[in-house]
Parts: sequence; C-alpha cells; structure tokens
Amino acid sequence: MFNRSSLIAALTFALTGCATTASTQLVEARQLYATSSTGLAAKLAPTELYDAKKVLDKADAEFVDKGDTALSRDYAYIATRKVQLADVKARTAQDRERIAEAAKAGIVVRDNQATANRAALNSTRDMLTTERRDNQASTNELRATNSAQAQALVKSADQLEAERTGRLEAEKKLAGAMKDLASIAAVKEEARGVVITLSGSVLFVSGQFTLLNTAMSKLDSVAEALKLEETGKRFVVEGHTDSAGTVAGNEVLSLNRANSVRNYLVQKGVEASRISAVGLGATRPVALNTTAENRANNRRVEIVIQPAATVTER
Amino acid sequence: MTPTRITAMALFALSGCATIQLPQEKLESSSASVRGAEEMGAANVPSARLHLELAKDEIASARKLAADGNERATVVLARGEADAELAMGLAREIAVHAEAEQAAIELRAVEARGTP
Repeated sequence: MFNRSSLIAALTFALTGCATTASTQLVEARQLYATSSTGLAAKLAPTELYDAKKVLDKADAEFVDKGDTALSRDYAYIATRKVQLADVKARTAQDRERIAEAAKAGIVVRDNQATANRAALNSTRDMLTTERRDNQASTNELRATNSAQAQALVKSADQLEAERTGRLEAEKKLAGAMKDLASIAAVKEEARGVVITLSGSVLFVSGQFTLLNTAMSKLDSVAEALKLEETGKRFVVEGHTDSAGTVAGNEVLSLNRANSVRNYLVQKGVEASRISAVGLGATRPVALNTTAENRANNRRVEIVIQPAATVTER
Repeated sequence: MTPTRITAMALFALSGCATIQLPQEKLESSSASVRGAEEMGAANVPSARLHLELAKDEIASARKLAADGNERATVVLARGEADAELAMGLAREIAVHAEAEQAAIELRAVEARGTP
C-alpha cells in the first residue's frame, strides 16, 4: 500500500521519464511494506508498521528530491528492517494469543474435569454414606437380635434352673411322701408301675365300702404323694376281695371300695381325670384263701401309679 | 592569494578536522537493543544472529563515521538499531513460538486425561 508521498514519487519518475531508477533496497522496501500492510502485521503490529512507513516515506522523499542517494538507500534499508520487525512482532503476538487461548482452554478443561471429579466424589461419598447407614442399621438389628437372644438364653437358663430346682424339690417332696407312705402301706415297684397296697381291714368295715376315719388320715398321705407325681402319670385304684361270697357280690363290693378311695383322693386334690377305679373282686389274690390271714391279705385296695410311657402307649 | 581564498582554505582545514556528535539517546537505545538481543539468545538463532552481527558492525561503523565527521554516521547508527531490534524480535519470536507449541502439547495432554 502506497501513501501519497510514494505515489508522488512514482508519478515524478513517470513524468521525468524515469531519469533515475529506484535502488533495489527501495523497491524491496516498498514491496515488503505493500505485502505486510495487507497481512497479519496490519492487525497485530500496526504501530511497528506505521514506524516502517514513516521511514519508507523518508526514503521516497529523498529519492524524489535527490535520486538514488546513499541516504535514500539507508532509509530503504531501515524501512525494510522495520517492516520485517512488524511481521515478526505480529507472528509473536499471534503465538502469544495461542498461549493465552491454550491456557484459557486448559482452565475450562480442568474446571470440567474438576467438576466431574467432584460429582464422582460426591456420588461415591453418598454411596458410602448410604452403605454406612445400611450397615449401621444391620448392625443395630443384629445387636438387637443378639441382645434378645442373649436375654432369651438367660431367661431360658433361669427357667431351666427354676424348673430343675422345682423338679428336685418335687422329687425330694415325693421321696419324703413315699417314705411316709411306706410306713402306712406296702409300696413296691412292679412292671405295671409303683403299687401302693392298703389293707382292706384298715380302710373299711367288713362287707362295707364306707371309709373308716382312721383310713382317711392314711389316704391323706397317699393323696399328697400322688399330687407330687409327674403330670403325665395316671393312677388306677383297684379294689380286691377274698373268695368268700359270690363273685358278683365281690365285684360290686370291690368296685364300690375302689370308688370310695378314688372319690376321697379326688376330694383331697388329685385330678379326677388322672385317676380311675376298677373292681377286680377275688380274681387277683395275693395269697391262697385258705387261711384267715391270707384272706385278710387278699382283701385290699391297690393304687397303681402307671408310668407315663405306659399311659401314652394306651 | 586573495584574502577570500585564504579564508576559504582556513574554513576547509577547520571543517576537515570536525567530528559528528552522535545523539546520546540513539547510542544508548541501539546498545540496549544489542544487549537485549544477546540476552534473548539471538546468537543461537541463525536468522537473529545475522542481524545481531550486522547491528554490531553498523554501530561500530557509525562511531567511526562520526569520528571522521561523516554526516552519514547518524543514519548508519539508525540502521544498526533497526538490525538490533529485528535480531531481538526474531530471538523472542523463537522463544514465544516454542512456548506456544509447548502450551498446545500440554493442552492436548490435559484433554487426553479426560473426565472420570
């Protein structure tokens, strides 16, 4: 791009018939300036380009005034260097813009990465918090369960201990009752169970089934012993007679006597559902009915304490 | 010899011995540009080294011309300053360009790192 003085110089040469030809330096300076003034330098190094233009104008003015002088060539040389410097500074400015843009882009990328990292960290933190909360809940639940189980175990142990103590106590009482019973009745262990035998003469007047007053105190001891027996056991009151009299009469008498004993025992607290009465007449003598003593022994009431297993099998 | 001719000869003798005083400001700025170019590493950049040498030669030449009383000394000093500034600009351009390339590489590396 030529300014007015350059144009004047060019016109002057044309009018003077090109009496003097511009130096190589001046031509080169003009061309270089023309190129740079339409390029990057015009935009990014306008000040340097303006400085170059001022020197180029001096070169042209000198050339117009005095022709191809050393001073004109010196100015052209300086103008060329200044145009080159403008180009260099323009390229440098462009590189600086690239650096700034890269830095800006780097900040954006890093910001995005940091945001993404934060989001990922928050997500992980939330997940861990939820997991920790769940774990805490599970732990609390387990603790509650363990505590309940431990309490149940303690309770069970306490219950077992209480039951064991109760059982020992009951067994002790039973042993005591059986011992007391042994002083007033015959107690023996048979396959059908423990059999308590009471003499008929102790309990009843001959031929009758009403209990004697003395019999009642003995049956009180029997009742106490029976009540101490295990819940599952059942009792059978068997009435027995000697062979005197009729079979039918003996059966009725033996049943009535068995019922009298059963009713008294129930009255004294033995559960009615656990105790039954049967009349066996003279069918099961313990001795031959040949002597008075033997017949006295056959007239009896037996109370059978059946084992719990026997009862279940039935 | 007429008085006029004698006066002319005296003036010629006096003028032949006169020196040119280079502007101090220009001398300092041109020397500063040379130092700046050297500090920027112009001696290690081929294109810059040429102009650095030219600048040094021209400044030295300007001093000599000034000492000889040659009027061209001032403009030769200006040539030296122009070459020195160009040498410094070229050296700086190389450094900044390398920095720009490095910035681009680093940006690509950051972008390649991606997001989680």
